[in-house]
Amino acid sequence: MSRVLLCQRDELAPGQLKKVEQAEGDAICVYNLGGTFYATTDMCTHATASLAEGDLEDDLITCPVHWGQFHIPTGQAVTFPCERHLRTYKIIVTDREVFADVALEADEALAAAQSPV
Amino acid sequence: MDNNKHIPLRTIESTPALGNLDRICDMEEGRLSGKVFWDQAIYEQELEKIFARCWLFVAHESQLPKFGDYLTTSMGEDEVLVVRQKDASLKVFLNACPHRGNKVCFAEAGNARGFICNYHGWSFGADGGRLMGMHESKCYEESHFDKSKHGLREARVATYKGLVFATFAADAPSLEEYLGPMTWYLDVMLDMDEGGSEFLGGCIRSTIECNWKIAAENFVGDILHGGWTHDSAAKAMLGGPVANVGELPESYSVNWNGHGYEFATDVVGNAATLGERDINKYLHVLRPKVAERLGEFRSKLIGAISSFTVFPNFSFLPGQNTVRIWQPRGPHKIELFTWVIVNKNAPQDIKDKWRRGAMMTFSPTGVFEMDDGENWEYCTKTAKGVVTRYQDLYVGLGMHTRLDDSELPGNVFKGQLNECNARAFYQRWKDLLQAPTWADVPDRNGKLR
Repeated sequence: MSRVLLCQRDELAPGQLKKVEQAEGDAICVYNLGGTFYATTDMCTHATASLAEGDLEDDLITCPVHWGQFHIPTGQAVTFPCERHLRTYKIIVTDREVFADVALEADEALAAAQSPV
Repeated sequence: MDNNKHIPLRTIESTPALGNLDRICDMEEGRLSGKVFWDQAIYEQELEKIFARCWLFVAHESQLPKFGDYLTTSMGEDEVLVVRQKDASLKVFLNACPHRGNKVCFAEAGNARGFICNYHGWSFGADGGRLMGMHESKCYEESHFDKSKHGLREARVATYKGLVFATFAADAPSLEEYLGPMTWYLDVMLDMDEGGSEFLGGCIRSTIECNWKIAAENFVGDILHGGWTHDSAAKAMLGGPVANVGELPESYSVNWNGHGYEFATDVVGNAATLGERDINKYLHVLRPKVAERLGEFRSKLIGAISSFTVFPNFSFLPGQNTVRIWQPRGPHKIELFTWVIVNKNAPQDIKDKWRRGAMMTFSPTGVFEMDDGENWEYCTKTAKGVVTRYQDLYVGLGMHTRLDDSELPGNVFKGQLNECNARAFYQRWKDLLQAPTWADVPDRNGKLR
């Protein structure tokens, strides 16, 4: 089973985010964007920095160190110096809890990867 | 006091004092060698023993309302950042990366998350100036680099009624002690109205090829030059002949710790030179309220013929409302930063008129600034000649005019046509150049002539 618990549904209000350490594998950052949950790796793809310490504005996360930005739903790097995309995780929401399936990417990331643009 | 508790900074020791200062600057006799305006060795001592030790003006609080707001200025030749913090306090950092020393911010002012060095991507947070990370950070981590032990060098910061001052000297006295009773006079400009003061947006930056002390000394207590140097400009602005300052019924020079203020009690003498009648009217209408707030005496000073220098290089003119720093740029050049200060609660059209009036008079093309610039440049440049430089200048006007029974705060002297404030300024200058630490700086208050 590749499912890991990220948080309780009522733990993160819209506009909030949180770093979740993993016993094995990379730490995950979970975001509540207007009631919808997303998850990416927490480490910036440029240098060592925790994105959970960055600023969340709309659906962009800004790294606290060099202010590079990623589009959270797709994990895409959108602002210098970030050029490599973030790994995303598929979210599974139950009645009370939010999980990530660490074997799968988010649907938005898959759709973006197949998009011709 | 350690300003950077989290950062174990290593700095080199300061150099010994020059040996012949008592001959170069003799304020008992009112004599000063022109060498002080030209000599590179003296200038290096000034940077170290005055600008790196004194409380220096860096900003007005109104320039930095929100978290992340910053401006760049300099403390002597040290470039600094003034930054509004998350907790609403202000911090002052060296604008220099502690890795290779490159400047970390090139803008004059703005709002930022932090400051990233262009050279190797060392990144510093706006909140606290701590090192957040850098480009290729993994290889630093592999060599056990502890980023929590690095950050932007921080100065001590203190404010007085909107004015923000900073110092790099851990042993400097408090700002309150540094300013002493001069705050009673600063209140005339900063606290005449219940809303306090603010800077109008924008800073004029210009250069004059003169020594910084000539400019600072002019504002510390030289209205003597006004009627002569500025005769034609004043007549043009006022539309008629100008009163002789020496004939004004009541005027004073006051000083403390090298700061000085010379003033008449004519309410609007300075303000009138802006050629904006509505400003005179505004001050006359405001005056009874100022009298309730600050007393009758100080209400007569709100726009009077007067000038003020806070040692070493922060000056302003009440009435004309021009505020400036004379930034030293070598012994023979200053960079002049100028702002316009107004009462926060003044009507917008009055603020606009003050901005316009200040531009007409005290900007690079202002009628008074041009007069002064020419004189100050040649007071500096004549000292290029050694015979000229080694000759004593006379700073003795007003010896023996001290008013020992005055109830006014500070060291009070009779009349504003008086070089007592210049003597106090140069005495403080010499005392600082000779003192190895702040504890060695003598207290001259009550003893100056």
